[in-house]
Amino acid sequence: MERRKNVNVLEIKNLTKKFGDFIAVDNMSLKIEEGEIFGFLGANGAGKSTTINMISGLLRSNEGVINILGKNAVKHNRFAKMNIGIVPQDLAIYEDLTAYENVRFFAGLYGLRGAVLDARVKEALAFVGLSDKHKNYPKNFSGGMKRRLNIACAIAHRPKLIIMDEPTVGIDPQSRNYILNSVRKLNEMGSTIIYTSHYMEEVEEICTRIAIVDHGQIIAEGTKEQLKSIITNTKDIWIEVKSTEGLDLNTLQAINGVEAVQIEENVIKIHSDAGVNNLNKIIEQLIKNGAEIRSLEEQELNLETVFLTLTGRNLRD
Amino acid sequence: MLNIVNIFLKELKQTFRDFRMFVFMIAFPIVFMLVLGMALSNAFSTSKISIDNIHVLYKNLGNNQLAQSFETLKKETAKSGIQFKEATGNVDGKKAVKQNNVDGYVEISNNGIKLYESDRNSIEGNIIQGMLTAFVDKYNVAMSVAKVDPSKVNMVLASNHSKQYIKETSLHAAKSPGAMDYYAIAMTAMIAFYAALNGTSLMNTEIARKTGDRLLVSPARKSEIFLGKVLGSITINFIFIVIVVLFSKFVFKANWGDHLGVIFLVLLTEVLMAVSFGLGVSYITKTGGAARTIVMIVIQIASFIGGAYFKIDYAGNIPKLSPLSWVIEGITKVIYANDLGAAIPSIILNIGITLIMMLIAVVSFQRREGL
Repeated sequence: MERRKNVNVLEIKNLTKKFGDFIAVDNMSLKIEEGEIFGFLGANGAGKSTTINMISGLLRSNEGVINILGKNAVKHNRFAKMNIGIVPQDLAIYEDLTAYENVRFFAGLYGLRGAVLDARVKEALAFVGLSDKHKNYPKNFSGGMKRRLNIACAIAHRPKLIIMDEPTVGIDPQSRNYILNSVRKLNEMGSTIIYTSHYMEEVEEICTRIAIVDHGQIIAEGTKEQLKSIITNTKDIWIEVKSTEGLDLNTLQAINGVEAVQIEENVIKIHSDAGVNNLNKIIEQLIKNGAEIRSLEEQELNLETVFLTLTGRNLRD
Repeated sequence: MLNIVNIFLKELKQTFRDFRMFVFMIAFPIVFMLVLGMALSNAFSTSKISIDNIHVLYKNLGNNQLAQSFETLKKETAKSGIQFKEATGNVDGKKAVKQNNVDGYVEISNNGIKLYESDRNSIEGNIIQGMLTAFVDKYNVAMSVAKVDPSKVNMVLASNHSKQYIKETSLHAAKSPGAMDYYAIAMTAMIAFYAALNGTSLMNTEIARKTGDRLLVSPARKSEIFLGKVLGSITINFIFIVIVVLFSKFVFKANWGDHLGVIFLVLLTEVLMAVSFGLGVSYITKTGGAARTIVMIVIQIASFIGGAYFKIDYAGNIPKLSPLSWVIEGITKVIYANDLGAAIPSIILNIGITLIMMLIAVVSFQRREGL
């Protein structure tokens, strides 16, 4: 499919959503061009699901405008919905309908009928590798197969914009790879993708542009290289010790330049100012604490680090 | 419109694949019908009243043809258990009736026959009255004949015999519901009300399965989703009811009368009412669990006081609070009294509740951002 340059598939202007006094989405603005795979990163409660729900029409905004392919999504509700496909985080399929019936039912709601509908359903099932299971009920499917059917239900009507909310949660690596390849293929076939995930490496691997959302606002946006360049002044040091029992994290936190300290099993992860040479003091403090150091390495800068630096918390928090 | 059909057909397909639903909505009422219909059959048998000999005092003061004919009547009726005894001397016939010593007192004069009876023995009194009326009618016929051809009078009077004085007429003996007939109606009405449970889960299951969100992000309008699902539920539950009715009619030979169309109309409005009731409660309570509990309690109480498990006296006010009693009473009258108008109150009440509950559901549905 031929791609038009600089066409905004999605444009959000000053979008705000409040639940009582709580502001879930705070004056958010965003543009996504045709052909992008746009990563939407944010910890739980950051506001990304609320934003996605407003884009898909599940929630009404308090303020702001959402344009889909240049048209106001509220005024041209049907047009907007016809051009969006949602792959929700939770499986949204009927266990008592076969795979074929599931896809056919949902695709039928998009105005497809007869032979065209049948062809699109078969195409969607083939795309997710479930053609041979089309007569089977999802209750007999593995988690990965259900996730794939969840995708098929969202793409049979060939939407211009596909929103995938955590599509790889709880599945095996093989199914995850299948889904990631599917995302790329859908993008190559002309769909623009909004992709949210807790798995930073997935986002890093497939997304052409990424937005980091925190407290209802986009705090950083760009390609992964652009995001990494924001935080060249920080470093991550991972120190593996024999045991972290009895370790006083406050003493490490108090060292000049150290911004955050975390423990994951026997690894102490220290996020520090790159401009301060504090490695000796860190080692000295650990030895004072009685820690037996096994290994030490300075991590290459990744999106996880970027996210942690910008939001002060892990993506899985 | 096509979306409504699409959603409607999906509802049908899903329910017909739900084995538990089938068992509950079809097997459950049929089994109950069978068990209660057989176990409580004695409670529904037509009661028999035995009447002993009827004792009547009489005073024959006349000397005309009527007085003579009465003597003949006296002999004939003795064979049917009506014992006439002459009130001689100081015997006060009226007092004897008052004191319940006899069932009636008859005075015959040249002017006619007077009967004194006690309300305490109404059945016996009615029998005596009926017999005397028949006798007097015959006598009058004989007198009319005498005016034309006196030679035929004796022939007319001779044709009198006891069986003609007392004619047995069955009081709805064949038109009273037996146990199976009653429980066919009661169980069908009860299971129709159980459609309320389906109403509570109509939207809640879509929300719980997350398919509700997928429906809402599709171009289908909220009103189309609502209509498709509600019409689907009503249709499915009505199909269940039709199956139960036909099964009881042809297998259990339950009496559904000659106006099945009217009965189905009453049951359809009950299903409408039940589904709307469940749906309305689910929107009022906002949680599926609470709605289900409330509806289940209402169904049980309505079934209990409405005559689902045992036949009730509809004269009281409490049973009238139950939708089941409206339906059972209405259908019973349609079947056993051929009173088609009896269906109207049931239909009006059912539609009234449907409108109220549907209004609650529609307003809540429109206000909500989700289903």
